[in-house]
Amino acid sequence: MATTAPAEAGTITAPARPRRSVGQRWVALWLPALPLLVIIGALLLAPALLLIVQSFSGNSGLTLDLWARVLGSALNREAIVTSVVLGVTCATIATIIGAPMAWLISRMFPRSRAGWLALLNVAANFGGIGLAFAYIAVLGTQGMITLGLQGAGLGFVPPRPSSFIGLTAAYSYTNVPLFVLLTIPAMGILRAEWWEAAQTASATRWQFWRMIGIPVLTPFIAGGWLLIFTWSIGIYGIAYGLAGGGGAAAIALITLQIGNILGTDVFGAGRAAVLAVLLMAMATASLVIYRRLLRRALRWL
Amino acid sequence: MTAAAAPAIHRPRSRLNRRLATQVFFLLAALYFLLPLVAVLIFTFAGRWTANILPDSYTLDWWAQALGNPDLVGSFWTSIVLATGTAILDILFVVPAAYWARVRNRRLRPIIELGAAIPFCLPYIVIAFGILQLSGIVVPALQGTFLLLMLGHTAIAFPFVYWAVDAAMAAAGVERLSEAGEACGATPIQIIRRVILPNITPGLVTGSILAFATSFGEFAMAQVVGRGVRTVPIWSAEALRSYISAPGTFNQLAVITFITFALLFVLSVVIVYLNRSQTVRLVPGAAEVGEAERA
Repeated sequence: MATTAPAEAGTITAPARPRRSVGQRWVALWLPALPLLVIIGALLLAPALLLIVQSFSGNSGLTLDLWARVLGSALNREAIVTSVVLGVTCATIATIIGAPMAWLISRMFPRSRAGWLALLNVAANFGGIGLAFAYIAVLGTQGMITLGLQGAGLGFVPPRPSSFIGLTAAYSYTNVPLFVLLTIPAMGILRAEWWEAAQTASATRWQFWRMIGIPVLTPFIAGGWLLIFTWSIGIYGIAYGLAGGGGAAAIALITLQIGNILGTDVFGAGRAAVLAVLLMAMATASLVIYRRLLRRALRWL
Repeated sequence: MTAAAAPAIHRPRSRLNRRLATQVFFLLAALYFLLPLVAVLIFTFAGRWTANILPDSYTLDWWAQALGNPDLVGSFWTSIVLATGTAILDILFVVPAAYWARVRNRRLRPIIELGAAIPFCLPYIVIAFGILQLSGIVVPALQGTFLLLMLGHTAIAFPFVYWAVDAAMAAAGVERLSEAGEACGATPIQIIRRVILPNITPGLVTGSILAFATSFGEFAMAQVVGRGVRTVPIWSAEALRSYISAPGTFNQLAVITFITFALLFVLSVVIVYLNRSQTVRLVPGAAEVGEAERA
């Protein structure tokens, strides 16, 4: 039905109008979308392509010099490894907490579901510098929980905000809700009839989950893991707020390295481009895998 | 945590345990999500605060100082104008394109989807860096301007608007609506204004709120592309840096953080209400699942 509608619309109007030239027809096909296409081309596609080109260019045309220099630096290698490990840790935490939560929220009554969705949505959108400050207000040296626990007589020493644990805790605040919001729609595909059928066959709840529930949901959960991993690697605002500035205590991350080079080193744009392309490659790879996973998952529908 | 997956034999007792475990899980989760909000709120009223979970004394000074700080108030209005402009531009660009992709030109759809995938998976710092480099070559005069920052935010926020608007168009059945409009002799602009827009209002509001929120809290692009534009995140980052040298700003930072939190919460409630408790963040996968479910 939906696919035939545009054709029908065309046949209704066509006879009323005079024949149009190729140019006019082109305008009629593309003009209303042109502003958006220009935005996409000029502000998303072209900048990304330019960075790729810049990362491979040197004084004498195409070269891998910049790549060799970036990957040859111990600090950059450390940043890459730390970013990936941080991404894996955050995605795993988000999955372990978020998957059961998404399932439970998807089975709630509409009223409490709406409340949770509103709360999760705030947390998911509350990132960047604000979250970095909130972290310090809770777990900084003068933070509420720190002071509370110390006041209670416990010798509590909070993790440094710029440490791996500190960043993981702060990232998780937005990652867990994001994961839940991402996977709630998928939870709907587990039909109540399947559980009834399993019960009719005298399966236990555990058997139902092991044989049906988990296999059906796995591609969605894996997809959520991948997206959280990708987003965690790319987070800049929270990391800058908690560990930015490049002091001795700061942690090395790819995004922080890029920001650092841009802020301090006039001639470092090429090296920053290499790091940016590296992030791009990882993000593109996970998006491709994500879409493939999703296609597999959707066959159950 | 594993309440849902726990092996359970069907006896009332174990069911009771499971429900208890679920409730404890959600209680802890609620505490976790609300804790930063509460801490920030208390910080805005805290006087002396030494060694307890609550401050020793309370004061309204920080609110007065924050609201009387021209730098902070200025950055707030800058952010409001920036985010509102971003949302308006996104609606203006996305609605005709999404409509045309559904009604006239199917080939637009994969192109827009591809464009939407870019800010969806690429970090904003990377896009911002790319825009910085490109604008340096093509339009150096625009570098560091409010306009370029707003266009950049429009680009990174457009997928949220597109997914929300496109889903609303699917739900409203715009193909048939515009067919009916054409049969009555209406022009495309008339159809969009009188028929399509009134039917996709929830999608428009959801999309513009998501664009607003994206722009309001965005830091990487504001720092890299909008050098010289002082938004709330930029002001906050500076205040965060100087919290040892200027402790007073730290409590003002609490005030603006809490205001942002409250703003996000109000917007979020509107979205959830409009979408009848469906999930809010529309992502490619989620939309596909939703559409397949409806089919």
